[in-house]
Amino acid sequence: MQRSLNNSETLSGIIQKPQFSPYTDNGGTVIAVGGKGFVIIGCDSRLSSGYTINTRFQPKLFKLTPQTVLGSAGCWCDVLTFVRLIEARLKMYSYEHNKTMSTPATAQLVSIMLYYKRFFPYYVSNLVAGLDEEGNGVVYSYDPVGHCEQSTYCATGSSSAFIQPLLDNYVGKKNIANAEKGKLLTQEEALRVVNDAFVSATERNMYCGDSIILNIITEKGIEERVIPLRKD
Amino acid sequence: MALLPDLPKGGFVFENFQRNEFLKAKGFRAPKATKTGTTIVGCLVKDGVILGADTRATSGSVIADKYSDKIHYMAKNIYCCGAGTAADTLYVTRMVSSNLELHRLNTNRVVPVICALRMLKQHLFRYQGYVSAALVLAGVDEDGAHLYSVTPHGSSDKLPFTTMGSGSLAAMAVFETRWKPNMTIEEGKKLVRDSVAAGIFNDLGSGNNIDMCIITRDGVDYMRPYEEANLKGQRLNSYVFDKGATPILTVHTIPLEVEEVMVRHMDETMDTSA
Amino acid sequence: MDVSFDRNQSSFDFNTVEACDNVTPEWLEPDSTGTTIMAVEFADGVVIGADSRATRGFYVSNRVSDKVNHVSDHIYCCRSGSAADTQAILDTIRYHLSFYEMELGEPALVKVAANLFKEMCYTYRDQLTAGIIVAGWDKRYGGQVYSIPLGGMMVRQSAIAGGSGGTYIYGYIDKFYKPRMTREECIKFVIEGISLAMERDASSGGVIRVAIIDKEGVEKKIIAGGDLPKFHEK
Repeated sequence: MQRSLNNSETLSGIIQKPQFSPYTDNGGTVIAVGGKGFVIIGCDSRLSSGYTINTRFQPKLFKLTPQTVLGSAGCWCDVLTFVRLIEARLKMYSYEHNKTMSTPATAQLVSIMLYYKRFFPYYVSNLVAGLDEEGNGVVYSYDPVGHCEQSTYCATGSSSAFIQPLLDNYVGKKNIANAEKGKLLTQEEALRVVNDAFVSATERNMYCGDSIILNIITEKGIEERVIPLRKD
Repeated sequence: MALLPDLPKGGFVFENFQRNEFLKAKGFRAPKATKTGTTIVGCLVKDGVILGADTRATSGSVIADKYSDKIHYMAKNIYCCGAGTAADTLYVTRMVSSNLELHRLNTNRVVPVICALRMLKQHLFRYQGYVSAALVLAGVDEDGAHLYSVTPHGSSDKLPFTTMGSGSLAAMAVFETRWKPNMTIEEGKKLVRDSVAAGIFNDLGSGNNIDMCIITRDGVDYMRPYEEANLKGQRLNSYVFDKGATPILTVHTIPLEVEEVMVRHMDETMDTSA
Repeated sequence: MDVSFDRNQSSFDFNTVEACDNVTPEWLEPDSTGTTIMAVEFADGVVIGADSRATRGFYVSNRVSDKVNHVSDHIYCCRSGSAADTQAILDTIRYHLSFYEMELGEPALVKVAANLFKEMCYTYRDQLTAGIIVAGWDKRYGGQVYSIPLGGMMVRQSAIAGGSGGTYIYGYIDKFYKPRMTREECIKFVIEGISLAMERDASSGGVIRVAIIDKEGVEKKIIAGGDLPKFHEK
């Protein structure tokens, strides 16, 4: 019986992969660590594709409200589109309700907007850091299609596999027999561990480097810091 | 035991090829080879030739080796930079190096650089690009200093300056703007340093230190590292675990019974002649 | 909790690093001499010439390569196609021909050299990407040009262009070739032909290398980029 060949088949029977991909991975790493009365969110500033660096200084943190910051890495065009849409939604909310959105509500919005694109997702690794009702640090982490998890510390992006185990051990006190469980880090301790995590990830991941951009979120506002990293 | 056992045959063993193809077809993900997505360069100067290389070896996006040695020894007067699959560059240079030494013993003279080139390119051509080694070969012999680049498929070019690896475009940009004929060794060192640095900073597959090797009629100056292109970031915390961090689940002690005690006094000093 | 999407690894294949692994990076691709080569017979000998560009993908891996190669003292060849294949062929044939000349005690005929190339190109036609022009002078037949294109056939022609750039100048050759040109006319004919091809073909460029072979021997010439003939633009 004769059968016509469709586009994805060749005469030799080898199925070829489609040539065009709408996604590209521009790298980037985001870390957030929260504690009593503060949360720190940091990102590296390298934007790359393949073996080339697009820019050495591209902040990946977006101030959504005076107490909520979104860290976003992955496919950079998706990041820009996603942030643009979420900023519009936050503006609509503030006009409608005459107040800025709370951090937990923003976290919920991010999840909904990601799941809205379930079958053509934004290829982004998101982290939302902010303050909860008591003014304590809270971190929400996401997968590209909107699964959301609340925690006090998290790492996402290209170096997450290097950093998350460090945070689990040092911040979460996992696998330490004699550790005080549930004890939160002070702001200074958190800053040091975020710095060290980026320094170490830069040693072993080529998509991480150039500089760290930190946002320290407290009731008083958001403080920004930039720390240089190695540039190779 | 046989009186005259057969000598092992040369070449690669392909006995697992079919099994591996079968596993791959079933969806098995084969382990990745370490690539030296690299910047390697070579440059002729007035009195000799200079080789330069970065020291990063990668496995996917992970930096597998921060201080990889990419300038390989071939003979006393010949060195060779390698880019591509780390194992291929190492073994192809090692094998040719052995054959060059045998050739030197047979002929009783300094082996010419072209001899190394022929051995390399004929081996690489035989394996049709599957031995993925991109090389920059340099050395001095009776006819002066020579510089060649060799591709994984076995073609070669004779050039006054050349670059290879993923950072080759960045490095070549520096050569094309600043190279001039008959440079002094100092000028050459500066140019090679800047060219490898261009690869290190602009190509993600290249990084860490700069190695350099200067070959002249008078001898070889192998500098590793020539320069640390980047300083390591400073860690602010200490990550030493307190005692008792590892839980002890069960304790079982096996007492050691001393059956006999023997003391031997060593009068002779240790032989360190070898 | 069973979550269908792992945070760091969704089911879509997003990993560009893996995409990089599936596609050979450009710097590991084979070098190709996507070339313009040309050879023409004149009254007393032959002129053989080529551009000097070697490419790897879109990268010019060598802008001063020598594609006009010595085969024996009165025979030269031009290579187009895969650099590795043509260099390997050339090395082998040079070796065989030098042996043959030693046994014969006199210079080999051009057609003998051409036949050696043909034999190899034909035997390994499935594995080789090589288009070769053999040109030279011998005392029995004078100046001769042989073309050995991709499949491994061999044909004698009085004027031939090859390589990717050759297609651009067939019309030029057909219109301006004259039998029994003088040496100077022929050199000009070849240089102009290759220049025309270099202007149109992206994988040809650099300088022009020519070899003029006649009874006296071989003269090699280089026409640098700035000295190439200009046409309408002047």
